[in-house]
Amino acid sequence: MTTTAELDTARAAATPSHAIASARGLTKVYGTGEAQVHALRGIDVDLARGELTAIMGPSGSGKSTLMHCLAGLDRPTSGTVLVDGLEVSSMSERRLTKLRRTRIGFIFQAFNLVPTLTAAENITLPLDIARRPVDKALYDEVVDAVSLRDRLSHKPAELSGGQQQRVACARALVARPSVIFADEPTGNLDSHASGEVLGFLRRSVDVLGQSVVMVTHDPRAASFAHRVLFLADGELVAELVSPTQSSVLATLAQLDGFAAKEK
Amino acid sequence: MGRIGIRAVTSHAGRFVMSVLAVALGVAFVTGTFALRHMLSSTFDEIVNAAATADAYVRTADGNPTDLTSTGAVGGGVPLSSLDAIRKVDGVRQANPDIQGPVTLVGADGAAVRSTQAPSFASPWFSNNTSYTHIEGRGPANASEVMLERHTLESSGLHIGDRTHLVVLGRATEVTVVGEADFSAPMAGATIVILDEATMRADFAPTGNVGSISVYAQPGVSQSDLVQRLKATAPAGSQVVTGDQLRQETRDTIAKQLGFISTFLLVFALLALFVGGFIIANTFTMAIRQRMREFALLRAVGASPTQVFGSIVVQAAVVGLAGSLIGVAGGFGLVEGIGALLRKMDMTLSSSVPLTWSTVVIGLLVGTVVSVAAAALPARRAAVVPPVEAMRDEVTVHERSLHRRAWVGAALIALGAAAVITAVVRPGADSAGMLLGVGAAGVIVGVLVVGPVVVPAVVRWLAVPAVAWWRPVGRLARGNVVRNPRRAASTAGALTIGMALVGASAVLAASTDASVRDIASTMLHADYVLQTQYPDTIAPEVVANVRALPGVGQVYALPAVEAKVTDASTTRTLSLDGLDPKIFDSVMTVETMTGPVAQVISDGGAVVDTKAAEANGWHIGDQLTVTTAGGEKRLTIGAMFHSSGLDIGVVVGQPVLDALVAPAQQTDSQVMVVAAPGADVAALRAPLTDVVKPYYVISVMDSKQFVNGIAGQVNQMLTILYALLGLSIVIAVLGIVNTLALSVIERTREIGLLRAVGLGRLQMAGTITTESVLIAVCGTVVGLVTGVALASALPRLFHDQGLQHLAIPAASLVGMLVLAVVVGVAAAVWPAIRAARLPVLDAVSQE
Repeated sequence: MTTTAELDTARAAATPSHAIASARGLTKVYGTGEAQVHALRGIDVDLARGELTAIMGPSGSGKSTLMHCLAGLDRPTSGTVLVDGLEVSSMSERRLTKLRRTRIGFIFQAFNLVPTLTAAENITLPLDIARRPVDKALYDEVVDAVSLRDRLSHKPAELSGGQQQRVACARALVARPSVIFADEPTGNLDSHASGEVLGFLRRSVDVLGQSVVMVTHDPRAASFAHRVLFLADGELVAELVSPTQSSVLATLAQLDGFAAKEK
Repeated sequence: MGRIGIRAVTSHAGRFVMSVLAVALGVAFVTGTFALRHMLSSTFDEIVNAAATADAYVRTADGNPTDLTSTGAVGGGVPLSSLDAIRKVDGVRQANPDIQGPVTLVGADGAAVRSTQAPSFASPWFSNNTSYTHIEGRGPANASEVMLERHTLESSGLHIGDRTHLVVLGRATEVTVVGEADFSAPMAGATIVILDEATMRADFAPTGNVGSISVYAQPGVSQSDLVQRLKATAPAGSQVVTGDQLRQETRDTIAKQLGFISTFLLVFALLALFVGGFIIANTFTMAIRQRMREFALLRAVGASPTQVFGSIVVQAAVVGLAGSLIGVAGGFGLVEGIGALLRKMDMTLSSSVPLTWSTVVIGLLVGTVVSVAAAALPARRAAVVPPVEAMRDEVTVHERSLHRRAWVGAALIALGAAAVITAVVRPGADSAGMLLGVGAAGVIVGVLVVGPVVVPAVVRWLAVPAVAWWRPVGRLARGNVVRNPRRAASTAGALTIGMALVGASAVLAASTDASVRDIASTMLHADYVLQTQYPDTIAPEVVANVRALPGVGQVYALPAVEAKVTDASTTRTLSLDGLDPKIFDSVMTVETMTGPVAQVISDGGAVVDTKAAEANGWHIGDQLTVTTAGGEKRLTIGAMFHSSGLDIGVVVGQPVLDALVAPAQQTDSQVMVVAAPGADVAALRAPLTDVVKPYYVISVMDSKQFVNGIAGQVNQMLTILYALLGLSIVIAVLGIVNTLALSVIERTREIGLLRAVGLGRLQMAGTITTESVLIAVCGTVVGLVTGVALASALPRLFHDQGLQHLAIPAASLVGMLVLAVVVGVAAAVWPAIRAARLPVLDAVSQE
């Protein structure tokens, strides 16, 4: 694991041009006066292109808030966010909407699919909205990769949880966005289905060159990533490259120790 | 548990706004109907009390309460000669004959003073009359002087001392206004002219008989006492009753008529409330669905199903009560508004709107009961939810199979249709009308029941253009409507009810219009028609003057009087009509003729309507005794005919009629004029207009105007029907807004997801709007198809009553569809804006 000091050198080394998304001085404060909550305290981070980056932390650490700000779903109190060279933090709602069709893909923990559309229609949804043609070759590749060929005409109610998440992944990929943001994608799945989804996400990065940013609290999910960022109390406290499940657990334990010491 | 229920309502008050509004509207209509009836009833009570002030009345034996529009007594009457004897009876302070008849007053602007629907009549001047509370000027002394009632004077624009004309029995005489009289009650826009007694006797009691005599008692003599004393001197064939009894009888007759009107209005009010029930059912179904976990939790901590049910019912009661309170206030306010409006139109009604407790209670009760009943079914579903559902993330509501509903609905439609078809195939049967009514009701209920199956199918079909052009909005909208068939059917169903009635009304009106035009143009072939408004008459001298005009060929008057007609078993009051036998060759075409009609009339016999003869059991050769104020005559039925264009009672020749009633006393509201062969028809109008101008009340119409005039009345009725149905439609549209708004709340996460994957705000709004339009158009289409199909059966049943053509107003129906689209867009505005403005983050990260 790397300490905070080593993080600074690493940060200097990772030049922004290799970053698919980056934040500078990202701060998010909720509420006013006594009830103020500092969700993010001046975070500087670069997320590498063509990599699966995991963001981990205990609840209340600000990991979901960080992802929301990076993805343009939330506006930071101060600081800037760049995605694929575009400044997302100051964009209008209209431009953000366009971005969501073409440059940014989402996978949520639950409720990923439109219940009234079939799996096939759900997969092509962002392209339908943007009125862009579907890349048939990519579509077929993705559908086969998630093993959903025989389920395409089914509605979400007729699919298992794992299948629904795979459809969500397919949807995120088929549009070929610059970056996919996934919020706890395996949170509701059993271990077998989790493994499928995570493996698929990693393969999409390795094989298709997709960039994926994943928020998770599950060490096993984090072990699939190229890099893991650790958040605590709104600050970036640690980083792990080429993680394994045990190294992730060790880092977490150490962070608990730090927290205990600081108290 | 009650506390939980009430808190739930107050914390989510916004969700119930539409429901409260729907209940308020329905209850306002119901309350308004009752309040209006009370107001009208108290108005007429005041009028009766002000106009009929005597302590006792001597009247004709079969005592019909005085009709303000009839010309004198029908059949017999109390002889004026008995007045002296009555006046001499011990205990009598004064006795006056009750004479009245219709007159038309010409106002300062040269036009007839006439309020729609209110009568215009003359009353005799008695210096000792206690009905007047205040007098300016003096009473009339001869035929060229008149006194006017206060409101009449105001609305006529005249002043004491002015000269004007008065049309009596069709003739206009010059008169001077010499006085003003105030009755103690507002007379509801009636035009009342007071003439001197001698003139009244001459015009309206020429045979020396009147309908009744008012008798006033000396102080200290009670009414019943007076009646006893009068019985001895009362002439044969007359009856003596107390003033109270007469007033009560009059009030009862009026109450019965008001009862019909208010029942008619109440039907529409209850319909509106029924539609409102749909909204409440929908609202509660959706609200309950959202809170299923909460109910499961309550059950898990030990609440019984009854308690859960009770808490929801409490909510429904609160919603219903709130809506009812607003509705009751609204209903009374509405009637106050109507009263104020009528006052502006010179029809003063009772100044107070009586706030009766019974009306308030009925309003509150009806609204609350409907709300509770509508919420009962969804409440039951919540009450039986298994407690284990509290542990689940997403509670699934088990949707019962729609098969049963489909079968029940289809069966209802089939049975209803069978009843309607039976009625159509045998229209003459007695039960035909009832079969049609019951069958129609069955079909409509069946359509509503089968809604969840029919509505999605219709919507899929209607959505084809949207799905093709507007991707992916069209598909999303269609999916959203179709995914919950029960809710879609319920929302569209509310509109279906109203539109079915609207469609039926439109077909009925168009068919009536077509039938009337056809009858009028094929059965009556006059070039011009002189027309007055009942009960005005066209005087015989007008007919003579028209005959004398160059260019006029034939002139046919249609005089009539009311007479008592007695056959072997019963006595009826019918119209005795005078017809020129030559009319059958030229102006009138008849449908059926039995016997030599023209000959019988020339020979002095009687001719009757074929249908009436069937109904009354008359045959050719039967004897009828006809009695009028002027005499009695025995006639033999010599022939029969039927014409849909003419409503007749007993037809005789002019000489027979004149023998029974003096020509001046006959009422003729239509005269047919045929141009001479070769004459210029268009050029006749000017001289005809010149002839009738001095009579003020006669209008000249060519055949086209005549037909249009009759058709115009049909359109008036249709407008009133549309207005009454309008409220139900408005409530149904509120239902659409309600369903959309609640479903937006329900689908918050889904909307967030769609926005997260790039659906624009405009596209989001477009989805909601498309859903709204689909529901509105679906409800309209199903309703119109049902209504038009059912109304098509009417001409078969009512052929003999004049409804002979089936006309389907395609343009109107298409217009309604277009209106449905517009309404759909308007209903979606608020929910669409809300959906588009949902912050994506809130929606996406909602727990």
